[in-house]
Amino acid sequence: MSDIPAVDLTAAPEVAAADLPPELVAQSLGQYLRAWWLRVRSGDSGVLPVVLGIVVVAVSFQIANSAFLSPLNLVNLFGQSSIYMLLAIAVIFVLLLGEIDFSVGLVMGLSGVIVGELVQPTGAGFPWWLAVIVALLACAAWGAFMGWLVAIVGIPSFIATLGGLLILEGVAIIFLGGSLVSIGNTQFTNERVLYDIFWSQFSPVAGWIILAVLVAAFGIGLSLQDARKRRQGLETSPRSLTAMKIVLVTVAGLAVVVICNVNRAHTGTIEGVPYIIPIVLIVLGASTVLLQRTRFGRYVYAIGGNREAARRAGVRVASIKIWAFILAALISGIAGVLFASWQVSLTTNIIKASNAYVLLAIAAAVIGGTSLFGGRGKTIHGVLGGLVIGGIYNGLYLLGVQSQWINIAVAGVLLVAATVDVLSRRGAPSRA
Amino acid sequence: MIANPGETPAGTSDPGVVADLTAAPTAAAAEVTAELTARSLRQYLRAWGQQIRSGNSGVLPVILAIVLVAIVFEIITPEHAFLRPSNLVYIFGLSTVYMVLAMAETLVLLLGEIDLSLGAVAMIGGVIAFKLVQQPGPGWPWWAAILAALVICGVIGALQGTLVARLKIPSFVVTLGGFLLFSGILIVVLGGANGDVVLNSSSSNQGVIYNMVQGVITPVVGWVALAVVVVAAGSALWRRAATRRRHGLVAPPAGLTAIRIALVAVVGVAVLALCTINRGTSIVSVQGVPWVIPIVLALLGAWTLVLQRTRFGRYVYAVGGNPEAARRAGVSLAGIRTWCFALCSATAALGGILLGSFFFGQYSTNTADPGQLVLYSVAAAVIGGVSLFGGRGKAVHGILGGLLIGGIAYGVSLLNLGQLVTPLQYILPGAVLIGAVLVDVLSRRGSVTRV
Repeated sequence: MSDIPAVDLTAAPEVAAADLPPELVAQSLGQYLRAWWLRVRSGDSGVLPVVLGIVVVAVSFQIANSAFLSPLNLVNLFGQSSIYMLLAIAVIFVLLLGEIDFSVGLVMGLSGVIVGELVQPTGAGFPWWLAVIVALLACAAWGAFMGWLVAIVGIPSFIATLGGLLILEGVAIIFLGGSLVSIGNTQFTNERVLYDIFWSQFSPVAGWIILAVLVAAFGIGLSLQDARKRRQGLETSPRSLTAMKIVLVTVAGLAVVVICNVNRAHTGTIEGVPYIIPIVLIVLGASTVLLQRTRFGRYVYAIGGNREAARRAGVRVASIKIWAFILAALISGIAGVLFASWQVSLTTNIIKASNAYVLLAIAAAVIGGTSLFGGRGKTIHGVLGGLVIGGIYNGLYLLGVQSQWINIAVAGVLLVAATVDVLSRRGAPSRA
Repeated sequence: MIANPGETPAGTSDPGVVADLTAAPTAAAAEVTAELTARSLRQYLRAWGQQIRSGNSGVLPVILAIVLVAIVFEIITPEHAFLRPSNLVYIFGLSTVYMVLAMAETLVLLLGEIDLSLGAVAMIGGVIAFKLVQQPGPGWPWWAAILAALVICGVIGALQGTLVARLKIPSFVVTLGGFLLFSGILIVVLGGANGDVVLNSSSSNQGVIYNMVQGVITPVVGWVALAVVVVAAGSALWRRAATRRRHGLVAPPAGLTAIRIALVAVVGVAVLALCTINRGTSIVSVQGVPWVIPIVLALLGAWTLVLQRTRFGRYVYAVGGNPEAARRAGVSLAGIRTWCFALCSATAALGGILLGSFFFGQYSTNTADPGQLVLYSVAAAVIGGVSLFGGRGKAVHGILGGLLIGGIAYGVSLLNLGQLVTPLQYILPGAVLIGAVLVDVLSRRGSVTRV
């Protein structure tokens, strides 16, 4: 990419300029904004629609119910959305390949059940970390099985994972053994640690310190990267853009910490940043790095964009696909640990819930801007889409709407998102 | 369309070539159906054996699977109860729902598409029909209520089909959204999560729908009807073959026609004899053929006729086999796709009505899980021999696959498995679905002629 003459491209016709990310062509902030606007107009609007969607959801529910944007509800909303976000990130790994995985919901449910069963002091009595590792390994093994069915055997992914989902439903019932599994007994350290993953938080002071460290690390890292690129004569985003990015991150972080540090308890004190926020951020960061900065990630996009071209370029399509399914199952497993911590006790009701979660996760990914046809999407889309879905659920629930109408609303949003995906593909001439 | 003299138009076979084809190499002969090439019964059997060896085994695997399942369950169920007449009739009642839904799904699978909203749409159809005959309430006559359910579901299907055909959104996404949407609407039309609708079986109007699965034809009427059907079908089959032969067209050998008529008669007599055995108690006798058997047979006949003998059916196979080729031949892809989705949903509505009738005329949110219904019906169609990749499959495959799924589901519940029953009811269909698709995938790989 770097040997493209950047100066000429801003002068090139609109279509050509719109193909390139604005970071590569812009020399100044003004140029950057202009190039960005060009891309938006040519149909490649990135995260803009979903951000607008979040704003619309927030404003309309706030008007309908003034409790919507209260600190208590915002933290609740994020907690609820965190499951959608992680599952959506998981499913994006598979969607980028142009495949789909319906079994991630039950992988999540099963992972929660396994963790819960393993830490029972009357049963296996594993320490919590060992239980989590075992559950995640089991999830990865399942992902490898699904990936094998799709990549090596050649069964269409939606059928392989539908059948897999049915099998996992049965396995979940066997594991639960007709009863429930609970991690609510806080006398046992292992159960309390699991419970605290979702329900506990940093102290306000710790929240500020962590924010300061994170912002400093982000700022320094970005500046160092820019400086190195400039020294080696590579294209670099304009300084003002880097500064703006750092400011944006700082402001967003400040807002989150301020909101979380408000006392949100009805009686007593609950304040501070919940653990789930850094957990989601870590998964987001790791998967973004994996997809944007590694050879594996480039191969995923290559296969999703044009499988045959990737194969001819020497990409081992089958093994990349299997790894994508493994990663999807692994991230769903992490979501499952959060889910178990959130629900505290798990019964066979998780089967119905898990299946709803898959659909919502796919909806979240598509709403966020990930294409169903492969090759286009980022993990941040899962987080933003998850926030929209979580916001709609939470907002409608606050208004006392029954769950069937909420499902209808989410189905409508999914269909609209899929339609937009299809139409935008048609609009953008550069993507076949 | 002007026929190029150098080409043979699709769908017709040049009689001059036929005699040569039996002599052609195995691979070429296997491409042509046995009826077209065979002059005598022996030639037919040989051509059929060749087809099976080349991977195009038709309904043979699923029939073998049904026999195998029947034998295995008969051996392992306590008191060897599986093959009791009462159980067999019950299995058939249970299976009819899957059969009808699988036939519905087949219409869409033939195009290479899928309908995941089928279960929810079917249940909406059932609830609509049940609500419309309620008295006090709308009090519609039963036929108008069923018709309304079919039409409403047909419109639902047409809407989803339009999204697939015109906007080109992948069908599994459209119908996934449809599944969420219609599962929600199902609860709304039922009147809330605890809502239900019950048929009054003593009312003559509501009784018709109640009796679709629960009611029986008296044995005498059953025997008379069977005789009429066998004679009518036999003479029609025989006469058609004779007409074709007289006009010099390709006709199946006379021996084959005779065997077919005999087979229909034997199966009919067996089913009737089985249903005539008293499966109630010595006090309350229950005997006779359930109404649902002729209903499903009529549906099978209708869809077989539409798919195999009409232009619409030929276009469906053409679009499923190669959409681009069909489009260039002048077939309206969007029109065929939209119609198939509409017909699929309308057929599913009938399945939904049968489902409620099977559960003694009651409908509630606990009657069935719409998601599981879809998976079972897709599994039934694929197990029966319908390809997921489009272009290959028949209505009868749905019937056979539905019977297999119903047999497995009921057989498992007969076993003394304690806590394993519920999980197995999930695991077995899942495993069978993956297994069936595996066979589908491998057979496509094996046969050279189908890409």
